[in-house]
Amino acid sequence: MRFKFIVFVLLQALLLIGIIAYRDHWVSTGERIILKTVPVDPRDIFRGDYVRLDYEITNLDLDKLSFKEKFSVNEKIFVKLLKSDDSTYRPVSVSKEIPSEGTFIQGRVRYYMPVALRWEISLKDDTGNIHTLIPRWNPNIKKGERLTFCLGRMNTIQNYYKDDAQYKPQCSTKTLAGIIEDTKEFKLRQAVVEYGIESYFVEEGQGRKIETARNAQELRVEVSLRKDGKGIITGLILDGNLLLR
Amino acid sequence: MSSDKDKFSFYRKLTKEIDIWLRENLITSDQKENILNRYASLKEADEKAGPGKLITTISVLGALLVGIGVILFVASNWSEIPRWEKLFIIFSSMLFSYGLGFYLCYEKQNFPKVGSSLILLGALIFGAGIFLIAQIYHISVHYPNGPLMWGLAVLPLAYVLRMKTLLTLAIIDILIWLGMESSYWLHASAFGSIMPFVMLYFMAGIALWSTGIMHKGFRHLKEISGPYVVTGALIAMSAGYVLTFDVFYSKLGSDTLFIFYSGAAALFTVSFIFNLFAKDRDKAWLPETVFLLIIMTAVFFLTVLYVPEKTAYSGFRYGQPHSMITICSNIVFALWIIGMIYLGYVRRYTAYINIGLLFFILDVFARYFDVFWRLLPRSLFFIIGGLMLILGSVVLEKKRRRILASFKIKEAD
Repeated sequence: MRFKFIVFVLLQALLLIGIIAYRDHWVSTGERIILKTVPVDPRDIFRGDYVRLDYEITNLDLDKLSFKEKFSVNEKIFVKLLKSDDSTYRPVSVSKEIPSEGTFIQGRVRYYMPVALRWEISLKDDTGNIHTLIPRWNPNIKKGERLTFCLGRMNTIQNYYKDDAQYKPQCSTKTLAGIIEDTKEFKLRQAVVEYGIESYFVEEGQGRKIETARNAQELRVEVSLRKDGKGIITGLILDGNLLLR
Repeated sequence: MSSDKDKFSFYRKLTKEIDIWLRENLITSDQKENILNRYASLKEADEKAGPGKLITTISVLGALLVGIGVILFVASNWSEIPRWEKLFIIFSSMLFSYGLGFYLCYEKQNFPKVGSSLILLGALIFGAGIFLIAQIYHISVHYPNGPLMWGLAVLPLAYVLRMKTLLTLAIIDILIWLGMESSYWLHASAFGSIMPFVMLYFMAGIALWSTGIMHKGFRHLKEISGPYVVTGALIAMSAGYVLTFDVFYSKLGSDTLFIFYSGAAALFTVSFIFNLFAKDRDKAWLPETVFLLIIMTAVFFLTVLYVPEKTAYSGFRYGQPHSMITICSNIVFALWIIGMIYLGYVRRYTAYINIGLLFFILDVFARYFDVFWRLLPRSLFFIIGGLMLILGSVVLEKKRRRILASFKIKEAD
């Protein structure tokens, strides 16, 4: 029995070492790319000692990427990426089969929505400039209203209120006031994709700090890609500074 | 260990029995004293040693606390500890705990209970290690492979050592994996419906239960059949309990999870076939096995094929007539509970009695407050059910009296 016990305990230790060796090999041999993150719905932030990361490539507009087929849930998806001027990688096309060349990342479709809605609001500020704001849910805003918006990165609306409102939420980010010029609604075919790089683990209590920064500033993630396109996070870059590795 | 237990229970039986011998003039009171004096040291040891179960419970709880402490220590000192030191802490504490546990339990054999708790602690630290490594490499929170690897790696150790705690840990790990993996598959296609998962766990529970019965059938596996039977019965009955409610207005299963349903059914089939060839058998094994087969088949077909009638759900429907299927599932569940308790008494297996009684109470409670039964003659239901139980007990008591009487006749002979 002693022999068997030692064998199985050593096998457990070997399993742990195996996971480490496998991941380390992946990190050191994969192709390094940098991805832009997007703000996550503030209702969903900080759920533990990790940061939840969403990327530009998380919500894919399939029409824009001129992909005609449907996806089913949990189906593999390959997103071809191209380096843009700011050295981050952007999606250029998607496929169900592994691409033969180029840089691509592999994920799984979590949701496929044949009809998804997106909105855009044109706001004229007090100096007469027009701004395009992006609400993340149906805004229920009328033309000609005067409103103050709390804005996150890339003009996403975090919150808004009327000037005469009884309750005015505090903005932790920049604010913008003005009159609504126009509201637009777009229909799109959307695939929500999970790549396995959506969590970044940090020390207890650090998560919220980074998540706030993520929603207000420019947060980029360094990812190492395996040959089959599977990614693993290797670093976090906040406003150009390497934050964690 | 177990020899001590046997000695103590022998002593307790002896003290009861010896009074009968005295009454029947088999021995004199002097002889009684002499016999009891012979075992005086055992009496003292029994009184002073305290219950062994208590020690097991305390040391298992201790192992759990230390395990959680190790996880918290590493998690809360995340950035201060370099990566290799984190891994060193995990590896060294795991191997130390396993090693010391094995030494105390099997080599020296002087602290078997504490030793086996330390082995459990080793297995817990191993699991913590899997998740800490996953964190170091930022593997997503959704990481069903974690519990699966944990469970599968602990399972052989549980068999080698014949340790029930390790086996329970492995079973729980694998059940957690099942939930995580299947919910990953079903993520978006069945919003808000938990029934596909209930049905999956129902089948998994029956399969575990049947695996436990299979273990009972083979002498060298009998020792570790308990965790399978108890977890299986608890899960299957919990799922069965859900089916006694008004859940038949929509499809029960999900096509996406078909592969999981088939897996559970396959595990059940394998264990069922092995059961047929088992050597050692409990009392009343046949009704139990056949019942499990019927339930498994019914659940599988309900899951895969059941389509509700269109009229079965019409929005808000307090007091609408019940579908036959809900009534059937209630009757089956009630019989199941009674069968459990009966088997428990026949085999002197307290776990069955406790599980049966637990669900009896839950079922009575639920039916009493069940709003959908409002218009049904609820009082009649309870009265008929109660009368049946009383009549049943009359029959049982008669039978018991007959058996006892026949014993007395034999004794008189």
